[in-house]
Amino acid sequence: MREERRSLIGWVAGLLGFCVIMLSMYPTIRGNSGFAKLLDAYPEPLKKLFNLADYTTGAGYLRTEVFSFMAPLLIAIFAIIWGSDLIAGEEERRTIDLLLANPVTRRRMVIEKWLALLTGTVLLSASLELTLGLLGPAFKLHVGWGPLTAVVLGSGLFALAFGTLALAVGAATGSRAVARGVATMLAVATYLLSTLAQIVTWLRPVQPASLWYHALGTDPLSSGFHAGHLSILVLTTIVIVALAALGFERRDLAT
Amino acid sequence: MTGDTLDRSEGATIFLDHVTKHYRSGGGVDDLTLSVGPGEVFGFLGPNGAGKTTVIRLILDLIRPDSGSIRVFGRDSRRDSVEIRRRLGYVPGELALYDRFTAREVLTHFAHLRGGLEWSKIATPAEQMQLDLDRPLRTMSKGNRQKVGLVAAFMGDPELLLLDEPTSGLDPLVQQQVHGEVRRAAAEGRTVFLSSHVLAEVGEVADRVGLIRNGRIIAVERVTELQHRALHQVDATFSSPEDESTFRSLPGVSTCTLTDHVLHLEVSGSLRPIVERLAATELTDLSIREPTLEELFLSFYEQPNA
Repeated sequence: MREERRSLIGWVAGLLGFCVIMLSMYPTIRGNSGFAKLLDAYPEPLKKLFNLADYTTGAGYLRTEVFSFMAPLLIAIFAIIWGSDLIAGEEERRTIDLLLANPVTRRRMVIEKWLALLTGTVLLSASLELTLGLLGPAFKLHVGWGPLTAVVLGSGLFALAFGTLALAVGAATGSRAVARGVATMLAVATYLLSTLAQIVTWLRPVQPASLWYHALGTDPLSSGFHAGHLSILVLTTIVIVALAALGFERRDLAT
Repeated sequence: MTGDTLDRSEGATIFLDHVTKHYRSGGGVDDLTLSVGPGEVFGFLGPNGAGKTTVIRLILDLIRPDSGSIRVFGRDSRRDSVEIRRRLGYVPGELALYDRFTAREVLTHFAHLRGGLEWSKIATPAEQMQLDLDRPLRTMSKGNRQKVGLVAAFMGDPELLLLDEPTSGLDPLVQQQVHGEVRRAAAEGRTVFLSSHVLAEVGEVADRVGLIRNGRIIAVERVTELQHRALHQVDATFSSPEDESTFRSLPGVSTCTLTDHVLHLEVSGSLRPIVERLAATELTDLSIREPTLEELFLSFYEQPNA
């Protein structure tokens, strides 16, 4: 955990900066009827694709500018980079020899590394929520803590799931590059699947296969918590942790 | 050559039973059987890439054998790996440390993973090796980094020490310190498994030596026997004529040539008779060279039953 303290601070600062920029642009858009008319003229599929609904209200603005993909993606990239490094990085830097000379099972190592990832993701998500919740009113943007928590939770769980996937692929292959590639590809695929399914009817039946759909596709900023959808994310993550432990258990390390 | 392994498997600290491990990229070990007794300092001698590190990493369960089994403290290396690792210390051949931290931070973390060792267990070996604990590891010299690895291995007084080329790349002063630590551990009754590609090093600290090449054990011998077998090359130049036969008849001389006041001998065992005979000559130049590892291995191939 402490190993990544500096990089976590960097990520928090970056996310904070992004939020402040987004927030500072809101007053020029809020209640701007010109914008509302412009958006109304957009074709319906485009609005759905880019989540353009209610752009001029606080919730709509946040949904479009912050949570349509930017913020969840930033947290997910953080989680994937870190997740891929937690075990595969120890192997590539060869520190794993010294670490596993200690009386520690590989399973315990996977779980403790995952707990570090969880802590980092929670800290990053919490700083996102606090930034938007505390600074929002200064820019006349009020969405309330409830909806904000719902959407941040969805984003955080999405990021955690793919960070965990990166950790698992890293544990099973020993390669950070493979871990990052696989996790990033699947994260993007799941985002595209969920978003495209809103406009492409024949994709609708497979939409539940997308983790993005369960995290953010239900519009938690307006509709609040969805225990069912969130528990799918949590369960998937737990299964991936178990698979990571299994995959790591069977391997020859750092050969 | 490994005839004593069967007798030693009972109560052995390390016992490898027909272990084979191949890598996709080549290398590894082949049908390797080896036994190290409690309290023994076992030298594992072979050129780079012979399979020394493979054996040590198999013992640690970092890699798994394709076939054969390994017992450490009489326990299965795979099933009881955590219990085994609780009782051993390890210095990797390619020591990689957490460079962003100080030695104190890394060692404290490992002490925690070892079930919360008291700080004195770290401080004592660190003091003995004169290690500065509070410098970031990335700013440390190779010698000091190696000391951190040694403290990590020695803390908690483990029963078994696995040292993979612990002195390679170190200056002679630090090498001597490392040898001192190994001898101290041996004096306290610990078992030491030390790999090396330097004959002199193994000769200095080990009781028994296993010679490995291309993944196979060539021989396991007591150090004294190995030194007996090791042929010293003696070259001497005289200012007055000498009689070749007086050298040829000395004990341990296997090859003897004398031309133009220049003598060449190959000698096994004690050098004393040679030195005494040479003392009686008009000597202008003398060199005595230890055999290289390659020559030592060759001696086993040339006389397989000697």
